[in-house]
Amino acid sequence: MAGTGSKALWPQRMRRRRSGWRGLVYIAPAMALVILFFIMPVIFTGWMSLHNWPLMGGTRWIGFKNYVRMFHDARFISALQFTACYTVIVTVAIFAVAFPLAIFVEKQRRFVSTYRTIIFLPVVVGLATASLLWVWLANVDSGFIGPALKALGLVDKSPNLLATFDSAFLTIIIMVVWKIAGFTMIILLTGLQAIPAELTEAARIDGAGPWQRFRHLTLPLMRKTIALALIISVTGSILAFDQFYIMTSGGPQNRMISVVYYIFNQSFVSFNLGYGAALSIALLAILVAISIMQLWLLRAGEERP
Amino acid sequence: MIKRLLAATSIATVCLAANASAAEKVEMWVRSGIGEAFKKTVETYNSSHENQVAMTEVPFSELVQKYATAIAGGQAPDALSMDLIYNPAFAAAGQLEDLTDWAKALPYFNALSPSHVKLGTYQDRIYGLPLSVETSVFAWNKDLYKKAGLDPEKAPASWDEITANAEKIRALGDDTYGFYFSGGGCGGCMIFTFTPLVWGSGNDILSADSKMATLDTPEMRKAVDIYRNMVKKDLVPAGAASDNGANFLSFTNGKIGQQSLGAFAIGSLLTEHPDIHFGVTLIPGATGGTSSFAGGDNFVITKGTPKMEAVKDFLEYIYSEDGQKIMAKYGSLPTRGDIADKVLQGLDPRLQVGMQAISVAKTPYTLQFNDLINSANGPWATFTSAAIFGDDVDGAFSSAQGEMQSIIDSGQ
Repeated sequence: MAGTGSKALWPQRMRRRRSGWRGLVYIAPAMALVILFFIMPVIFTGWMSLHNWPLMGGTRWIGFKNYVRMFHDARFISALQFTACYTVIVTVAIFAVAFPLAIFVEKQRRFVSTYRTIIFLPVVVGLATASLLWVWLANVDSGFIGPALKALGLVDKSPNLLATFDSAFLTIIIMVVWKIAGFTMIILLTGLQAIPAELTEAARIDGAGPWQRFRHLTLPLMRKTIALALIISVTGSILAFDQFYIMTSGGPQNRMISVVYYIFNQSFVSFNLGYGAALSIALLAILVAISIMQLWLLRAGEERP
Repeated sequence: MIKRLLAATSIATVCLAANASAAEKVEMWVRSGIGEAFKKTVETYNSSHENQVAMTEVPFSELVQKYATAIAGGQAPDALSMDLIYNPAFAAAGQLEDLTDWAKALPYFNALSPSHVKLGTYQDRIYGLPLSVETSVFAWNKDLYKKAGLDPEKAPASWDEITANAEKIRALGDDTYGFYFSGGGCGGCMIFTFTPLVWGSGNDILSADSKMATLDTPEMRKAVDIYRNMVKKDLVPAGAASDNGANFLSFTNGKIGQQSLGAFAIGSLLTEHPDIHFGVTLIPGATGGTSSFAGGDNFVITKGTPKMEAVKDFLEYIYSEDGQKIMAKYGSLPTRGDIADKVLQGLDPRLQVGMQAISVAKTPYTLQFNDLINSANGPWATFTSAAIFGDDVDGAFSSAQGEMQSIIDSGQ
């Protein structure tokens, strides 16, 4: 009696509010994780960035001095430049390799799943492990690449690939492409497979050549997929650290210090946790800006007919 | 019955408590890579004393961060074997126990390795005492000398001689090289083996008060020339250009004719590579003289530890003749000058050379050692790599000089 009565009395709004609470309960675990492991650390990092905060000893409030300092910090600027340069080059390289691969493995042919597996295999290796593997491959005496070039008679003397900037940078780019291209390929593959076969068919009947079909049909329809792959690749490249730390220790002559590497150095080598925190907040702002730009790209994709 | 049980357990508890108060357990951290010397000393101490020392080995590259964060979190060990170059920074941060009065009361205080005590002193108070001593020395492979037609017993006395010998050794074959150094941004390796060239000639890379970078000197130019020349003549393996210290002991592979290395390495060469016949001598200066880097570890005590007495007892054992003998046997040179001869008696004579080096050795005193010298991305590491392997020597000098000075200035 009481139950039915109250049910009838509850206004619509009340019920909606109750289901709102239920929804909150459902997302509570996720929210708790995000708050505990993202929001709170970010707030704390922001708090630290307003202090002179050495690893040992007392902290001192200095306001925005850390942020002012970074604009005059030549090493930070050059780390930003290097990271930007690396991001552009490696992203272009990854797409240049991953797109043809995706088109190659999209068509049904013999052993296609074998090809996919082989191309995807490096992705499951950790980046640090892959870096170590390539340190060995590039080793001048006991490695593979240098001695192989020598054995083939292409060079007189096994070259030390990691000793000069150009060859070391090239080695790292090749390593990262080898490691990441498989993942980008899988993302692009799902986009390719989502294009209805009838459309391609119709375009072909209308007399469109392969390049025209790719340019005016495949690319526009894959806009969202490409944006997703782009976000992942760009974010990953901006946060690059392992490969430079492990393969070249930031060398030759410090020319491969990425932003994250510089933050690490400031925080744990120079013990300026406060300045490291300020740099991290700046990097977070840069990443958010870039992601917003790319989300805008995504939305532009939706508006298309 | 219950009463009896209670009585039994309470007696047991009392016994345990009494035991605990009599025998202290000292937590101590030590960095990896200093060889067996300290480990063996701890073992002997534990087997002959009531107090016990629990030793934890921490990778050398992480020890400073780990210790600093442990202090911040209140989890720090009672004592630590700290690379002595970091001693000033930790003392300045107020994290270490002041040992001045106790140390000065030791009868052998004046015989303790002076450069260690200097690094352990901050504003006239002593925060660290020598634990292990390592000096850099020049080593040559006697077998390769013989093969190259050189006198294997004659130590080279100048860098002209070393270069000439390196050329003869290089002529032996494809994978035999005359000289080796870790030149790929290993600041620690290069300060240890390369600065003695400058020090021996009477100059330094920092001013006496550590407030001025004095990198660009004729002596340093000469030292860089010597190394550049050997690289140009292909007397050094190509791998040296990117070796960040991982292959520092390349000498042990038997294909390297000459290399500057440390006294710990003498210990491990003797025990682990008995097939390599080598000689050691002092590192010649670029324009004459000899020098060495006095490295090693200081014994420091975390501020506020409740086990002060036990820690002091252990340190006194290390300074005893027994303790010093065990350390020396495994490659750490005696820290007490007054009994050094007695301690080294009967040990390999090559350790004596390491001991002689102490009298000519230097150690830079700076709170910013990590930033200036040791960091793989610091100005010193970058300078050595750029000046020796790069194309623009003048540029390397001027940019490193500028960056070192700006780091020093920002730390004032």
